[in-house]
Amino acid sequence: MSSSDNGLNPTLRLQGVGKWFGSLQVLEEIDIDVKTQEILTVLGPSGCGKTTLLRIVNGLILCERGEVSFKGEVVDGPRPEMAMVFQNFGLFPWKRLDQNIGYALRIQGKDKNEIDRLVSHYTELVGLGGFEANYPSQLSGGMQQRAGLARALAAQPDVLLMDEPFGALDALTRETLQEELLRINEAEPKAMIFITHSIDEALLLGDRVLVMTPRPGRIRFQFETGFGRGRDLEALRGGKRFQALRHYLWEAMRNPDEEPEPIPELNLE
Amino acid sequence: MATDAPTATGVSTAEKTAWERIKEPAVYVRLISLVVVIGGWELMGQTGNIDPVTFSYPSAICVAFWDLIASGKMTAAAYESSQILVAGLLIAIPLGIVLGILMGRFRTFEYAVDTYVFALYATPVVALAFPIAMVLGVDFVGKTTIVVFFAIMPIIVNVYHGVRNVDLSLLEVTRSFCSTESQRWRDLIFPSVVPYLVAGLGLACGRALVGMVVAEFLMSISGLGALSQDYIADLELDKGLAPVVLLMIVGIALTKVVNICETKFSSWRVRQES
Repeated sequence: MSSSDNGLNPTLRLQGVGKWFGSLQVLEEIDIDVKTQEILTVLGPSGCGKTTLLRIVNGLILCERGEVSFKGEVVDGPRPEMAMVFQNFGLFPWKRLDQNIGYALRIQGKDKNEIDRLVSHYTELVGLGGFEANYPSQLSGGMQQRAGLARALAAQPDVLLMDEPFGALDALTRETLQEELLRINEAEPKAMIFITHSIDEALLLGDRVLVMTPRPGRIRFQFETGFGRGRDLEALRGGKRFQALRHYLWEAMRNPDEEPEPIPELNLE
Repeated sequence: MATDAPTATGVSTAEKTAWERIKEPAVYVRLISLVVVIGGWELMGQTGNIDPVTFSYPSAICVAFWDLIASGKMTAAAYESSQILVAGLLIAIPLGIVLGILMGRFRTFEYAVDTYVFALYATPVVALAFPIAMVLGVDFVGKTTIVVFFAIMPIIVNVYHGVRNVDLSLLEVTRSFCSTESQRWRDLIFPSVVPYLVAGLGLACGRALVGMVVAEFLMSISGLGALSQDYIADLELDKGLAPVVLLMIVGIALTKVVNICETKFSSWRVRQES
Protein backbone atom coordinates (compact mmCIF):
# COMPACT_ATOMS: atom_id res chain seq x y z
CA MET A 1 0.00 0.00 0.00
CA SER A 2 2.70 2.50 0.96
CA SER A 3 5.06 3.62 -1.75
CA SER A 4 8.76 3.35 -1.09
CA ASP A 5 9.55 7.07 -1.10
CA ASN A 6 7.25 7.70 1.85
CA GLY A 7 9.81 6.60 4.35
CA LEU A 8 12.60 8.55 2.75
CA ASN A 9 11.04 11.99 2.29
CA PRO A 10 9.48 13.48 5.36
CA THR A 11 7.18 16.31 4.34
CA LEU A 12 7.46 17.84 7.74
CA ARG A 13 10.34 17.55 10.17
CA LEU A 14 10.59 18.79 13.75
CA GLN A 15 14.05 18.71 15.26
CA GLY A 16 14.67 19.30 18.96
CA VAL A 17 11.74 21.67 19.31
CA GLY A 18 11.56 23.36 22.71
CA LYS A 19 9.08 26.02 23.77
CA TRP A 20 8.80 28.22 26.85
CA PHE A 21 6.02 30.53 27.97
CA GLY A 22 8.06 32.87 30.14
CA SER A 23 9.99 30.65 32.50
CA LEU A 24 7.57 27.74 32.05
CA GLN A 25 8.76 25.10 29.65
CA VAL A 26 5.85 23.61 27.69
CA LEU A 27 7.67 21.52 25.07
CA GLU A 28 10.99 19.72 25.29
CA GLU A 29 13.12 18.05 22.63
CA ILE A 30 10.36 17.19 20.19
CA ASP A 31 11.59 15.25 17.15
CA ILE A 32 8.93 14.27 14.63
CA ASP A 33 9.02 13.30 10.97
CA VAL A 34 5.75 13.28 9.11
CA LYS A 35 5.89 11.39 5.85
CA THR A 36 3.98 12.29 2.69
CA GLN A 37 0.36 11.23 3.07
CA GLU A 38 0.93 9.92 6.58
CA ILE A 39 -1.69 10.44 9.28
CA LEU A 40 0.03 11.08 12.58
CA THR A 41 -2.21 11.27 15.61
CA VAL A 42 -0.81 12.97 18.69
CA LEU A 43 -2.32 11.72 21.92
CA GLY A 44 -1.82 13.32 25.30
CA PRO A 45 -3.59 14.57 28.39
CA SER A 46 -4.82 18.17 28.63
CA GLY A 47 -2.02 20.64 29.15
CA CYS A 48 0.71 18.57 27.52
CA GLY A 49 1.29 21.22 24.86
CA LYS A 50 -0.39 19.42 21.95
CA THR A 51 -2.06 22.54 20.65
CA THR A 52 1.09 24.59 21.22
CA LEU A 53 2.97 22.02 19.16
CA LEU A 54 0.49 22.35 16.30
CA ARG A 55 0.65 26.15 16.41
CA ILE A 56 4.44 25.93 16.16
CA VAL A 57 4.14 23.60 13.15
CA ASN A 58 1.73 26.06 11.54
CA GLY A 59 4.15 28.91 12.17
CA LEU A 60 1.65 30.82 14.30
CA ILE A 61 4.16 30.90 17.13
CA LEU A 62 7.87 30.25 17.03
CA CYS A 63 9.88 27.84 19.15
CA GLU A 64 12.82 28.99 21.23
CA ARG A 65 14.86 25.88 20.52
CA GLY A 66 15.13 23.54 17.57
CA GLU A 67 13.33 24.04 14.27
CA VAL A 68 10.43 22.98 12.10
CA SER A 69 11.06 22.40 8.43
CA PHE A 70 8.66 21.81 5.58
CA LYS A 71 10.18 20.08 2.54
CA GLY A 72 13.57 21.24 3.74
CA GLU A 73 12.58 24.87 4.31
CA VAL A 74 12.52 26.30 7.82
CA VAL A 75 8.99 27.25 8.91
CA ASP A 76 9.13 30.81 10.28
CA GLY A 77 5.50 31.77 9.71
CA PRO A 78 2.22 30.42 8.34
CA ARG A 79 2.47 29.11 4.79
CA PRO A 80 -0.26 28.17 2.30
CA GLU A 81 0.95 24.56 2.01
CA MET A 82 -0.41 23.90 5.51
CA ALA A 83 -4.02 24.34 6.56
CA MET A 84 -5.44 24.12 10.05
CA VAL A 85 -8.82 22.81 11.18
CA PHE A 86 -9.66 24.48 14.47
CA GLN A 87 -11.23 22.99 17.57
CA ASN A 88 -13.83 25.76 17.83
CA PHE A 89 -14.41 25.67 14.03
CA GLY A 90 -13.10 29.22 13.51
CA LEU A 91 -15.76 30.17 10.96
CA PHE A 92 -16.60 33.83 10.34
CA PRO A 93 -20.14 34.29 11.68
CA TRP A 94 -20.90 37.05 9.15
CA LYS A 95 -19.86 34.99 6.13
CA ARG A 96 -22.13 32.50 4.42
CA LEU A 97 -20.99 28.91 4.29
CA ASP A 98 -19.67 29.14 0.72
CA GLN A 99 -17.78 32.33 1.61
CA ASN A 100 -16.27 30.61 4.64
CA ILE A 101 -15.24 27.58 2.59
CA GLY A 102 -13.74 29.78 -0.13
CA TYR A 103 -11.98 31.99 2.41
CA ALA A 104 -8.47 30.56 1.99
CA LEU A 105 -8.81 30.62 -1.81
CA ARG A 106 -9.74 34.28 -1.78
CA ILE A 107 -6.79 35.00 0.49
CA GLN A 108 -4.56 33.22 -2.03
CA GLY A 109 -5.93 35.47 -4.75
CA LYS A 110 -7.41 32.68 -6.89
CA ASP A 111 -9.75 33.89 -9.64
CA LYS A 112 -13.47 33.73 -9.12
CA ASN A 113 -14.24 30.78 -11.39
CA GLU A 114 -11.53 28.71 -9.75
CA ILE A 115 -12.87 29.60 -6.31
CA ASP A 116 -16.44 28.69 -7.31
CA ARG A 117 -15.32 25.39 -8.77
CA LEU A 118 -13.24 24.38 -5.73
CA VAL A 119 -15.84 25.59 -3.24
CA SER A 120 -18.60 23.57 -4.86
CA HIS A 121 -16.31 20.52 -5.10
CA TYR A 122 -15.33 20.59 -1.42
CA THR A 123 -18.80 21.57 -0.26
CA GLU A 124 -20.08 18.39 -1.90
CA LEU A 125 -17.14 16.33 -0.64
CA VAL A 126 -17.89 17.13 3.01
CA GLY A 127 -21.62 16.65 2.44
CA LEU A 128 -22.77 20.27 2.79
CA GLY A 129 -24.34 20.67 -0.64
CA GLY A 130 -27.48 22.80 -0.38
CA PHE A 131 -26.32 24.73 2.68
CA GLU A 132 -24.08 27.21 0.83
CA ALA A 133 -26.24 30.23 1.63
CA ASN A 134 -26.53 29.52 5.36
CA TYR A 135 -24.69 31.36 8.06
CA PRO A 136 -22.65 29.25 10.53
CA SER A 137 -24.98 29.98 13.43
CA GLN A 138 -27.81 28.30 11.53
CA LEU A 139 -25.92 25.02 11.39
CA SER A 140 -25.14 22.31 13.93
CA GLY A 141 -21.65 21.93 15.35
CA GLY A 142 -21.02 18.91 13.16
CA MET A 143 -21.94 20.82 10.02
CA GLN A 144 -19.84 23.78 11.09
CA GLN A 145 -16.83 21.54 11.46
CA ARG A 146 -17.51 19.98 8.06
CA ALA A 147 -17.28 23.53 6.73
CA GLY A 148 -14.05 24.06 8.70
CA LEU A 149 -12.66 20.91 7.07
CA ALA A 150 -13.86 21.95 3.61
CA ARG A 151 -12.19 25.34 4.03
CA ALA A 152 -8.88 23.70 4.90
CA LEU A 153 -9.16 21.15 2.07
CA ALA A 154 -10.13 23.79 -0.49
CA ALA A 155 -6.81 25.52 0.20
CA GLN A 156 -5.27 22.32 -1.24
CA PRO A 157 -2.53 22.06 1.34
CA ASP A 158 0.14 19.36 1.52
CA VAL A 159 -0.33 19.09 5.27
CA LEU A 160 -3.57 19.24 7.23
CA LEU A 161 -3.25 20.31 10.85
CA MET A 162 -6.18 19.10 12.96
CA ASP A 163 -6.44 20.65 16.43
CA GLU A 164 -8.86 18.34 18.28
CA PRO A 165 -11.34 19.08 15.49
CA PHE A 166 -14.03 16.76 16.78
CA GLY A 167 -13.50 17.51 20.47
CA ALA A 168 -16.47 19.86 20.72
CA LEU A 169 -18.92 17.45 19.04
CA ASP A 170 -21.24 14.83 20.45
CA ALA A 171 -20.19 11.18 20.26
CA LEU A 172 -22.37 10.19 17.31
CA THR A 173 -21.42 13.20 15.16
CA ARG A 174 -17.83 12.57 16.10
CA GLU A 175 -17.88 8.98 14.84
CA THR A 176 -19.59 10.01 11.62
CA LEU A 177 -16.98 12.68 10.98
CA GLN A 178 -14.12 10.29 11.75
CA GLU A 179 -15.37 7.98 9.02
CA GLU A 180 -15.93 10.89 6.65
CA LEU A 181 -12.44 12.19 7.29
CA LEU A 182 -10.91 8.84 6.37
CA ARG A 183 -13.14 8.59 3.28
CA ILE A 184 -12.09 12.08 2.18
CA ASN A 185 -8.46 11.31 2.86
CA GLU A 186 -8.75 8.17 0.70
CA ALA A 187 -10.03 10.34 -2.14
CA GLU A 188 -7.41 13.06 -1.71
CA PRO A 189 -4.55 11.78 0.45
CA LYS A 190 -2.54 14.31 2.42
CA ALA A 191 -0.15 14.33 5.32
CA MET A 192 -2.05 15.04 8.50
CA ILE A 193 -1.21 15.79 12.11
CA PHE A 194 -4.26 15.08 14.20
CA ILE A 195 -4.29 16.21 17.83
CA THR A 196 -6.64 14.38 20.18
CA HIS A 197 -7.08 13.31 23.77
CA SER A 198 -9.26 10.37 22.77
CA ILE A 199 -7.49 7.00 22.68
CA ASP A 200 -10.06 5.55 20.29
CA GLU A 201 -9.77 8.46 17.91
CA ALA A 202 -5.98 8.29 17.90
CA LEU A 203 -6.09 4.59 17.00
CA LEU A 204 -8.96 4.76 14.52
CA LEU A 205 -7.47 7.54 12.44
CA GLY A 206 -3.72 7.23 12.85
CA ASP A 207 -1.17 5.47 10.70
CA ARG A 208 1.11 6.29 13.58
CA VAL A 209 0.24 7.29 17.14
CA LEU A 210 2.53 9.54 19.12
CA VAL A 211 1.97 9.76 22.87
CA MET A 212 3.07 12.82 24.82
CA THR A 213 3.80 13.45 28.50
CA PRO A 214 2.58 16.57 30.26
CA ARG A 215 4.60 19.50 31.65
CA PRO A 216 6.77 19.88 29.78
CA GLY A 217 5.39 18.09 26.75
CA ARG A 218 7.78 15.39 25.59
CA ILE A 219 7.41 12.45 23.24
CA ARG A 220 6.83 9.42 25.43
CA PHE A 221 6.60 6.74 22.75
CA GLN A 222 5.19 6.24 19.29
CA PHE A 223 4.17 3.30 17.16
CA GLU A 224 2.63 2.38 13.81
CA THR A 225 -0.96 1.25 14.21
CA GLY A 226 -0.61 -1.00 11.16
CA PHE A 227 -4.30 -0.85 10.33
CA GLY A 228 -3.71 0.15 6.72
CA ARG A 229 -5.77 2.34 4.43
CA GLY A 230 -9.38 1.77 3.55
CA ARG A 231 -9.98 0.55 7.08
CA ASP A 232 -13.47 -0.26 8.22
CA LEU A 233 -13.85 1.52 11.54
CA GLU A 234 -16.63 -0.76 12.82
CA ALA A 235 -14.65 -3.91 12.11
CA LEU A 236 -11.52 -2.25 13.49
CA ARG A 237 -13.11 -1.47 16.84
CA GLY A 238 -14.02 -5.12 17.39
CA GLY A 239 -10.59 -6.39 16.31
CA LYS A 240 -8.06 -7.95 18.67
CA ARG A 241 -5.20 -5.66 17.72
CA PHE A 242 -7.31 -2.57 18.30
CA GLN A 243 -8.41 -3.86 21.70
CA ALA A 244 -4.83 -4.67 22.69
CA LEU A 245 -3.52 -1.29 21.60
CA ARG A 246 -6.42 0.44 23.28
CA HIS A 247 -5.70 -1.36 26.54
CA TYR A 248 -2.01 -0.55 26.25
CA LEU A 249 -2.68 3.13 25.69
CA TRP A 250 -5.23 3.20 28.48
CA GLU A 251 -2.68 1.77 30.92
CA ALA A 252 -0.09 4.21 29.67
CA MET A 253 -2.37 7.22 30.09
CA ARG A 254 -3.39 6.12 33.57
CA ASN A 255 0.17 5.73 34.80
CA PRO A 256 2.12 8.61 33.35
CA ASP A 257 5.29 7.64 35.25
CA GLU A 258 5.73 4.01 34.30
CA GLU A 259 5.56 2.29 30.96
CA PRO A 260 3.01 -0.51 30.72
CA GLU A 261 3.94 -4.12 29.94
CA PRO A 262 5.03 -4.21 26.31
CA ILE A 263 2.79 -6.04 23.90
CA PRO A 264 4.65 -8.16 21.35
CA GLU A 265 2.29 -7.26 18.48
CA LEU A 266 3.18 -3.60 18.85
CA ASN A 267 6.43 -3.92 17.08
CA LEU A 268 5.07 -5.99 14.22
CA GLU A 269 4.76 -4.51 10.72
CA MET B 1 -60.12 31.72 17.14
CA ALA B 2 -60.11 28.06 16.11
CA THR B 3 -63.84 28.20 15.26
CA ASP B 4 -63.26 31.18 12.95
CA ALA B 5 -60.52 29.47 11.04
CA PRO B 6 -62.54 27.45 8.49
CA THR B 7 -64.63 30.43 7.37
CA ALA B 8 -61.86 33.00 7.53
CA THR B 9 -61.11 34.79 4.27
CA GLY B 10 -57.85 36.56 3.55
CA VAL B 11 -59.34 39.89 4.62
CA SER B 12 -60.80 38.73 7.91
CA THR B 13 -57.53 36.96 8.74
CA ALA B 14 -55.72 40.24 8.23
CA GLU B 15 -58.23 42.03 10.43
CA LYS B 16 -57.89 39.40 13.07
CA THR B 17 -54.09 39.61 13.11
CA ALA B 18 -54.31 43.39 13.45
CA TRP B 19 -56.72 42.97 16.34
CA GLU B 20 -54.50 40.29 17.85
CA ARG B 21 -51.54 42.58 17.59
CA ILE B 22 -53.41 45.15 19.66
CA LYS B 23 -54.12 42.45 22.23
CA GLU B 24 -50.39 42.02 22.84
CA PRO B 25 -49.28 43.65 26.12
CA ALA B 26 -46.43 45.49 24.37
CA VAL B 27 -49.05 47.32 22.28
CA TYR B 28 -52.08 47.80 24.48
CA VAL B 29 -50.18 48.72 27.64
CA ARG B 30 -48.39 51.44 25.70
CA LEU B 31 -51.63 52.65 24.15
CA ILE B 32 -53.38 52.81 27.52
CA SER B 33 -50.40 54.57 29.05
CA LEU B 34 -50.41 57.18 26.26
CA VAL B 35 -54.15 57.76 26.58
CA VAL B 36 -53.92 58.15 30.36
CA VAL B 37 -50.87 60.43 30.43
CA ILE B 38 -51.55 62.59 27.35
CA GLY B 39 -55.30 62.53 27.98
CA GLY B 40 -54.87 63.43 31.67
CA TRP B 41 -52.50 66.24 30.74
CA GLU B 42 -54.98 67.52 28.14
CA LEU B 43 -57.83 67.25 30.64
CA MET B 44 -55.87 69.32 33.17
CA GLY B 45 -55.39 71.97 30.48
CA GLN B 46 -59.04 71.94 29.32
CA THR B 47 -60.35 72.29 32.87
CA GLY B 48 -58.14 75.32 33.49
CA ASN B 49 -55.75 73.66 35.90
CA ILE B 50 -52.70 74.64 33.83
CA ASP B 51 -51.60 78.26 33.76
CA PRO B 52 -50.74 78.94 30.07
CA VAL B 53 -48.05 81.39 31.19
CA THR B 54 -45.97 78.77 32.98
CA PHE B 55 -46.88 75.60 31.11
CA SER B 56 -49.05 74.33 28.28
CA TYR B 57 -51.02 71.25 27.25
CA PRO B 58 -51.10 68.93 24.20
CA SER B 59 -53.84 70.45 22.03
CA ALA B 60 -52.49 73.98 22.56
CA ILE B 61 -48.98 72.82 21.62
CA CYS B 62 -50.38 71.09 18.51
CA VAL B 63 -52.14 74.27 17.40
CA ALA B 64 -48.98 76.29 18.05
CA PHE B 65 -46.99 73.71 16.11
CA TRP B 66 -49.18 74.11 13.00
CA ASP B 67 -49.19 77.88 13.37
CA LEU B 68 -45.41 77.98 13.45
CA ILE B 69 -45.20 75.74 10.40
CA ALA B 70 -47.84 77.74 8.53
CA SER B 71 -46.00 81.00 9.24
CA GLY B 72 -42.75 79.43 7.99
CA LYS B 73 -40.95 80.20 11.24
CA MET B 74 -40.54 76.56 12.23
CA THR B 75 -39.17 75.44 8.87
CA ALA B 76 -36.75 78.36 8.75
CA ALA B 77 -35.53 77.62 12.26
CA ALA B 78 -35.30 73.89 11.54
CA TYR B 79 -33.28 74.59 8.39
CA GLU B 80 -30.90 76.77 10.35
CA SER B 81 -30.50 74.15 13.09
CA SER B 82 -30.11 71.26 10.68
CA GLN B 83 -27.07 72.93 9.11
CA ILE B 84 -25.01 72.69 12.26
CA LEU B 85 -26.46 69.26 13.11
CA VAL B 86 -25.63 67.77 9.72
CA ALA B 87 -22.24 69.49 9.48
CA GLY B 88 -21.40 68.32 13.00
CA LEU B 89 -22.36 64.71 12.29
CA LEU B 90 -20.60 64.70 8.91
CA ILE B 91 -17.39 65.66 10.69
CA ALA B 92 -17.89 63.60 13.86
CA ILE B 93 -18.75 60.26 12.23
CA PRO B 94 -15.76 59.79 9.89
CA LEU B 95 -13.35 61.46 12.31
CA GLY B 96 -14.62 59.34 15.20
CA ILE B 97 -14.29 56.14 13.17
CA VAL B 98 -10.74 56.96 12.10
CA LEU B 99 -9.64 57.98 15.60
CA GLY B 100 -11.29 54.91 17.14
CA ILE B 101 -9.61 52.58 14.65
CA LEU B 102 -6.20 54.20 15.08
CA MET B 103 -6.53 53.99 18.86
CA GLY B 104 -7.66 50.38 18.73
CA ARG B 105 -5.01 49.24 16.29
CA PHE B 106 -1.87 51.18 17.10
CA ARG B 107 -0.57 51.11 20.65
CA THR B 108 1.64 54.15 20.22
CA PHE B 109 -1.28 56.23 18.96
CA GLU B 110 -3.47 54.95 21.78
CA TYR B 111 -0.92 55.89 24.45
CA ALA B 112 -0.43 59.29 22.83
CA VAL B 113 -4.10 60.29 22.83
CA ASP B 114 -6.09 58.10 25.24
CA THR B 115 -5.65 60.49 28.19
CA TYR B 116 -7.41 63.30 26.30
CA VAL B 117 -10.06 61.11 24.77
CA PHE B 118 -11.14 59.54 28.04
CA ALA B 119 -10.85 62.86 29.90
CA LEU B 120 -13.10 64.50 27.30
CA TYR B 121 -15.47 61.52 27.41
CA ALA B 122 -15.88 62.04 31.16
CA THR B 123 -16.22 65.83 30.88
CA PRO B 124 -19.67 67.40 30.45
CA VAL B 125 -19.20 68.97 27.04
CA VAL B 126 -21.50 71.86 27.99
CA ALA B 127 -18.64 73.16 30.11
CA LEU B 128 -16.55 73.47 26.95
CA ALA B 129 -19.06 75.75 25.19
CA PHE B 130 -17.49 78.97 26.45
CA PRO B 131 -13.84 78.15 25.73
CA ILE B 132 -14.89 76.96 22.25
CA ALA B 133 -16.79 80.19 21.70
CA MET B 134 -13.74 82.20 22.73
CA VAL B 135 -11.47 80.40 20.30
CA LEU B 136 -13.75 79.63 17.34
CA GLY B 137 -16.41 82.30 17.66
CA VAL B 138 -20.10 82.01 18.37
CA ASP B 139 -21.31 81.39 14.85
CA PHE B 140 -21.42 78.41 12.48
CA VAL B 141 -17.88 77.14 13.16
CA GLY B 142 -18.17 77.39 16.92
CA LYS B 143 -21.62 75.78 17.02
CA THR B 144 -20.65 72.97 14.68
CA THR B 145 -17.62 72.30 16.87
CA ILE B 146 -19.90 71.92 19.90
CA VAL B 147 -21.99 69.37 17.99
CA VAL B 148 -18.81 67.53 16.95
CA PHE B 149 -17.59 67.37 20.56
CA PHE B 150 -20.95 66.03 21.72
CA ALA B 151 -21.28 63.44 18.97
CA ILE B 152 -17.75 62.17 18.47
CA MET B 153 -17.04 60.69 21.88
CA PRO B 154 -19.32 57.62 21.77
CA ILE B 155 -18.13 56.90 18.22
CA ILE B 156 -14.45 56.95 19.14
CA VAL B 157 -14.93 54.93 22.28
CA ASN B 158 -17.21 52.32 20.67
CA VAL B 159 -15.06 51.83 17.57
CA TYR B 160 -12.00 51.57 19.79
CA HIS B 161 -13.64 48.84 21.86
CA GLY B 162 -14.85 47.10 18.68
CA VAL B 163 -11.32 46.92 17.28
CA ARG B 164 -10.01 45.79 20.65
CA ASN B 165 -12.61 43.05 21.11
CA VAL B 166 -11.92 41.28 17.84
CA ASP B 167 -12.24 37.52 18.38
CA LEU B 168 -8.69 36.32 19.00
CA SER B 169 -9.36 32.83 17.70
CA LEU B 170 -10.60 34.29 14.40
CA LEU B 171 -7.52 36.51 14.33
CA GLU B 172 -5.50 33.30 14.50
CA VAL B 173 -7.58 31.83 11.66
CA THR B 174 -6.68 34.79 9.44
CA ARG B 175 -3.00 34.40 10.36
CA SER B 176 -3.06 30.66 9.78
CA PHE B 177 -4.41 31.12 6.26
CA CYS B 178 -1.72 33.73 5.48
CA SER B 179 -4.08 36.71 5.28
CA THR B 180 -2.51 40.08 4.52
CA GLU B 181 -3.22 42.98 6.87
CA SER B 182 -5.69 44.62 4.47
CA GLN B 183 -7.53 41.32 3.92
CA ARG B 184 -7.70 40.93 7.70
CA TRP B 185 -9.41 44.31 7.99
CA ARG B 186 -11.96 43.35 5.38
CA ASP B 187 -12.70 39.84 6.62
CA LEU B 188 -12.45 40.29 10.35
CA ILE B 189 -11.90 43.70 11.88
CA PHE B 190 -14.50 45.81 10.00
CA PRO B 191 -17.28 43.23 10.41
CA SER B 192 -16.46 42.93 14.12
CA VAL B 193 -16.57 46.70 14.57
CA VAL B 194 -19.95 47.24 12.83
CA PRO B 195 -22.21 46.37 15.81
CA TYR B 196 -20.13 48.60 18.11
CA LEU B 197 -20.13 51.40 15.54
CA VAL B 198 -23.90 51.25 15.10
CA ALA B 199 -24.44 51.42 18.86
CA GLY B 200 -22.05 54.39 18.93
CA LEU B 201 -23.92 56.11 16.09
CA GLY B 202 -27.21 55.77 17.98
CA LEU B 203 -25.69 57.51 20.99
CA ALA B 204 -23.95 60.05 18.77
CA CYS B 205 -27.18 61.14 17.05
CA GLY B 206 -28.89 61.72 20.38
CA ARG B 207 -25.93 63.65 21.72
CA ALA B 208 -25.61 65.67 18.52
CA LEU B 209 -29.18 66.93 19.01
CA VAL B 210 -28.35 67.94 22.57
CA GLY B 211 -25.20 69.63 21.33
CA MET B 212 -27.16 71.49 18.66
CA VAL B 213 -29.63 72.93 21.18
CA VAL B 214 -26.88 73.73 23.68
CA ALA B 215 -24.97 75.58 20.97
CA GLU B 216 -28.08 77.53 19.98
CA PHE B 217 -28.83 78.44 23.59
CA LEU B 218 -25.32 79.33 24.73
CA MET B 219 -23.66 80.81 21.63
CA SER B 220 -25.23 83.17 19.08
CA ILE B 221 -28.86 82.33 19.52
CA SER B 222 -30.39 80.69 16.42
CA GLY B 223 -32.54 77.95 14.97
CA LEU B 224 -34.99 75.83 16.92
CA GLY B 225 -33.24 76.63 20.20
CA ALA B 226 -33.76 80.35 19.58
CA LEU B 227 -37.35 79.86 18.47
CA SER B 228 -38.17 77.97 21.65
CA GLN B 229 -36.31 80.34 23.94
CA ASP B 230 -37.85 83.46 22.41
CA TYR B 231 -41.42 82.28 22.93
CA ILE B 232 -40.73 81.00 26.41
CA ALA B 233 -39.23 84.36 27.28
CA ASP B 234 -42.46 85.95 25.96
CA LEU B 235 -44.41 83.54 28.18
CA GLU B 236 -46.02 81.89 25.14
CA LEU B 237 -45.39 78.40 26.42
CA ASP B 238 -47.39 76.57 23.76
CA LYS B 239 -45.23 78.03 20.98
CA GLY B 240 -42.12 77.62 23.13
CA LEU B 241 -42.74 73.89 23.47
CA ALA B 242 -43.60 73.23 19.82
CA PRO B 243 -39.93 73.21 18.66
CA VAL B 244 -39.21 70.78 21.50
CA VAL B 245 -41.81 68.42 20.00
CA LEU B 246 -40.04 68.68 16.64
CA LEU B 247 -36.71 67.84 18.32
CA MET B 248 -38.33 64.76 19.85
CA ILE B 249 -39.59 63.65 16.45
CA VAL B 250 -36.17 64.21 14.85
CA GLY B 251 -34.50 62.29 17.69
CA ILE B 252 -36.83 59.34 17.23
CA ALA B 253 -36.37 59.44 13.45
CA LEU B 254 -32.58 59.42 13.73
CA THR B 255 -32.72 56.46 16.11
CA LYS B 256 -34.93 54.62 13.60
CA VAL B 257 -32.48 55.30 10.77
CA VAL B 258 -29.66 53.88 12.90
CA ASN B 259 -31.76 50.80 13.69
CA ILE B 260 -32.45 50.22 10.01
CA CYS B 261 -28.73 50.49 9.26
CA GLU B 262 -28.05 48.00 12.03
CA THR B 263 -30.45 45.46 10.52
CA LYS B 264 -28.94 45.97 7.08
CA PHE B 265 -25.34 45.50 8.16
CA SER B 266 -25.86 42.54 10.45
CA SER B 267 -28.25 40.35 8.50
CA TRP B 268 -26.35 37.27 9.73
CA ARG B 269 -27.23 38.24 13.30
CA VAL B 270 -30.92 38.76 12.58
CA ARG B 271 -31.21 35.44 10.75
CA GLN B 272 -29.64 33.75 13.71
CA GLU B 273 -32.55 34.85 15.91
CA SER B 274 -35.27 33.71 13.55
